[in-house]
Amino acid sequence: MKSLFKMGTVVLCVLSLFLFGFSGIGNAAERDYFKVGVITSLSGDLATGGNVTKRGYDLWAKAVNEKGGIKINGKFYKVKLYYADAQSEPSQGASAAERLVIQEKVDFVLGPYSSGVTLAVAPVLEKYKIPMITGSAESPLIWKQKFHYTFGTIPPVNYTGATPIKTLVKLQPAPKTAFILGSNDAFSKATAEAFKAAAEKLGIKVLKYNIVPAGQDLTPFMSVAKALKPDLIAFGGHDEELVNLVKSLKQINYTPKALLMHYGVTEPAFVEALGNAADGVFGASVWTETLPTKGTFLWSDAKSYADAAMKAFKVPPDYTQAGSTAAGIAFQAALQQIGATPPLSEEERDKLVSALEKLDIDTFYGKINFADEGQYYHANVGLEPLTVQIQKGKVVIVGPSEYAEAKAIYPMVPWNKR
Amino acid sequence: MELLPQAIVDGLLIGGIYITIAIGFSLAYGVMHIIDFAVGEWIMLGAFLGFYLHKGTGIDPFILLPVVFLVFFGVGYIFQPLIHRVLSGKRGNPVLMGLVFTFGLALMFRGIALTAFGFYTHSIPAKFFQGSLFFQFGNFFVTIPMIRLAGLIYALSITAILHYLLKNTDFGLAVRALAQHKESAGLMGVNAKKTGSYVYGIYVGISAMTGVIIGSIFSINAQMGADYTVFAFFVVVLAGMGYLAGVPWAAFLLGLVQSFFLIYLSPSYTLLAVFGILYVILLISPKGLFAKGV
Amino acid sequence: MHRKILIFGVIFVIALATIPLLVHDTFYLRVITEAIMWIGLAITWDVIAGYTGYLNFGHGAFFGIGAYTTAILMMRAHWPFGLALIAGGLASGLTAAFIGAPTLRLRGAYFAIATWALARALQQLALVLNFTGGPDGMRLPPFLNPEFFFYAMLTVVVITFAGLWILLEFAPFGLKLKAIREDEAGAMALGLNPTSLKIQSFVLSALPTGIIGGVYAYWITYIDPASVLGDLVTDQAVVMAVFGGLGTLVGPAIGAVLLFAFKTYFWAYLSDYQVLYLIILGAVIALSVVFLPDGLWGTILKYKSSKSPMPLRNDTGETK
Repeated sequence: MKSLFKMGTVVLCVLSLFLFGFSGIGNAAERDYFKVGVITSLSGDLATGGNVTKRGYDLWAKAVNEKGGIKINGKFYKVKLYYADAQSEPSQGASAAERLVIQEKVDFVLGPYSSGVTLAVAPVLEKYKIPMITGSAESPLIWKQKFHYTFGTIPPVNYTGATPIKTLVKLQPAPKTAFILGSNDAFSKATAEAFKAAAEKLGIKVLKYNIVPAGQDLTPFMSVAKALKPDLIAFGGHDEELVNLVKSLKQINYTPKALLMHYGVTEPAFVEALGNAADGVFGASVWTETLPTKGTFLWSDAKSYADAAMKAFKVPPDYTQAGSTAAGIAFQAALQQIGATPPLSEEERDKLVSALEKLDIDTFYGKINFADEGQYYHANVGLEPLTVQIQKGKVVIVGPSEYAEAKAIYPMVPWNKR
Repeated sequence: MELLPQAIVDGLLIGGIYITIAIGFSLAYGVMHIIDFAVGEWIMLGAFLGFYLHKGTGIDPFILLPVVFLVFFGVGYIFQPLIHRVLSGKRGNPVLMGLVFTFGLALMFRGIALTAFGFYTHSIPAKFFQGSLFFQFGNFFVTIPMIRLAGLIYALSITAILHYLLKNTDFGLAVRALAQHKESAGLMGVNAKKTGSYVYGIYVGISAMTGVIIGSIFSINAQMGADYTVFAFFVVVLAGMGYLAGVPWAAFLLGLVQSFFLIYLSPSYTLLAVFGILYVILLISPKGLFAKGV
Repeated sequence: MHRKILIFGVIFVIALATIPLLVHDTFYLRVITEAIMWIGLAITWDVIAGYTGYLNFGHGAFFGIGAYTTAILMMRAHWPFGLALIAGGLASGLTAAFIGAPTLRLRGAYFAIATWALARALQQLALVLNFTGGPDGMRLPPFLNPEFFFYAMLTVVVITFAGLWILLEFAPFGLKLKAIREDEAGAMALGLNPTSLKIQSFVLSALPTGIIGGVYAYWITYIDPASVLGDLVTDQAVVMAVFGGLGTLVGPAIGAVLLFAFKTYFWAYLSDYQVLYLIILGAVIALSVVFLPDGLWGTILKYKSSKSPMPLRNDTGETK
């Protein structure tokens, strides 16, 4: 039985190591910089998107600090980012939130990448009354929950999804039939639902609407498309799935009149992976580097932001990265309005939330104006959703007409004539 | 009904991909009794070697296959003694030990790949085998994508070559002897260590080539390994662990289930059906489809 | 002897129970709560794998069943948490009893893959059904009282640990299971009923796992098929149990605490080196198998038994 006692000692030692192994608790003393928590998925299944948001947040912090900081009542306050990896896991996101709030005593938080993580993080931040803006939560789920302290700079997909369909029905000859499918995850399913609702409303006959398992080889399903010959194929999915679907259509040699996807076609990796097969694919976006915007913070327009991003990371920015940077700018603007200095008290954080709700600013990203009621509660509804198309490897705005940079290539050039 | 031939063809073509994923793994299990969690990672690493070789030289990925095979044959050959050590000696539950060991390896490989290759999805552009064959008879029509057909032919050739090697060569005799009874094979003069190294090398080499094929049919990224590991396990177990001749049939079965669900039944239920059917078959026939597994 | 263990156990649990009084940092409390959760998941996996010799690769499914049952009963039927939690545990236990009879006829890798396939099938089922919320998952009312969840998790895991300790280390039940692990036909010849014993151990492994899943759901406030029915729970439980030492209860508990502490420390304070995390973790797992084949605790036990004149009972899970 001596062994049991020794075992006990071992366990106790381990536990105490575990307890005291962590560094000390930060204090809330006066400081001349803002502590900004960043919760995003730097590893796990969603690491691709998570790292895009990281670039956006980093670029904001870098640009602010290069100007000396955020100017509040004549004095400059720098920003310092504190990262916590949510590892694409909701529970890890909740831990991350707890750590940033309790140990790092962050003033506010730049948000996670996926809806699952956001839904676990938001309640923790509600509890501690810490405002959060996410640069990339496009699932409508989050905004239905009406979290008081959570905001988002990217409009949800049910706000943007209808736009490309509206653009498509104005083309000649307008698509009459559609195949709509979505991968079985929260974002992709919502995308497919948005496409379907818009198509039905605009008189396109939906021949097939299906939610398919994530990662499934869809070639047999596309064989059905080849038989039924829909004018439009619309797909909600993530990076890899989008690439595979295009390749699969090319392999069975079926070219619909229009192929529509959502987030992901504007990612540089999409074009890189597909080469000329990416040409002609439609997508939805709220920002491209050629969008004519007038920024009053940090960057004067989309182009100068894109140049700065290219210089910093050697990768062209997409709208998620831009939205993440804009999340930082939204905090910056609201802080200036209320004149709050670090560290933020609970009262100041509440004021910050009210200021964010009233915010209406122009940035390189476009207008930021968070809805304060309805199904888009606290999502940014200041932006105009855009229809984009890949043309010669570049993302080009093709609708709505007042923003169009080029005519849409329609119908799609058959695969074997490229 | 006019899609019936297409459903069968699509199912067989998906099955072809599963054969390539599983055949090497089945061989390695038969000889070494290792459940290798790193099988998907070998596929991923092979795919990236193919991707960068193609990028660097511009040579078509299908021509690069032998190069990828040789490189990874070497890697497997060097790795095998380590795995041999884990699986032998006075260890409790060697199967579990091998499994956890390779799980550790898989995490390492994935970490290294993420560091070296980044998160993005790539595709290996093949110039060979583009386009598709199209047949029509009355209402029926069938499209056969050339590249997938090439994948199926590759899978069947590998199966045939392995089959020939096992049945008609001295090496094959040694492998079969080892698979049946390790100790007696040793007494009969079979060098277990060396033969094991060759087998593991062949398995890793085949898996790596498969990665290149997958990269030209689908796409590749540093985190792709886990998905392929699952299907490699499922096919091999369904075939009967270590029963090489069962692999194509198990692979075709899983492929056909998918194509029929996607085309005729409900696409949402495709994977539910695949996993459910796998479970039920194992209950009915506990040693795989042909009850010939070890 | 029994009294000594009892006294020690009580002191140890009291020490654990005072943690919230000493630790006011809610992040630490959250981390310790999660560590306790992993102890529970590793030891329950060990019941079926280490003691009985069946590699369950679908352990996460029981966790998910508990989490979903609790969430569905609380959200759709408005049950109070306590009742929903018990129902979650029962649902897991009943599932194990139901699938146990046919599934436990399979051996070795076949059992591992069958349970894995079943877990994957359940995940797909949760994705396509409506009342589980599909891919959107389910939100539970945020309660977020760190002390409450600490004590809830502690209670569940301590009761599980104590119950398993008594059944497996003192009662003949544990020896019977080990007899099956070593030689199933031989066990039958001794007059044991392996089928019934295996099912009992399967249920014993699944029921507490379901309850832990229920606590998790209410604690994290959000569940979806990816997070509670994915491979993560199984993978971690397996690695923790093997690292600590199979076929013992102390080993997996130590393995769980050590690996979870390593993971959390790396994650929280070395996040700049996050890319190295997978590489280091993988290397630690692989090396531990090579150099500590009996696990950490198993090696310590072995070392001691080789030193002590009176050999201790061999608890290291050898089959050869």
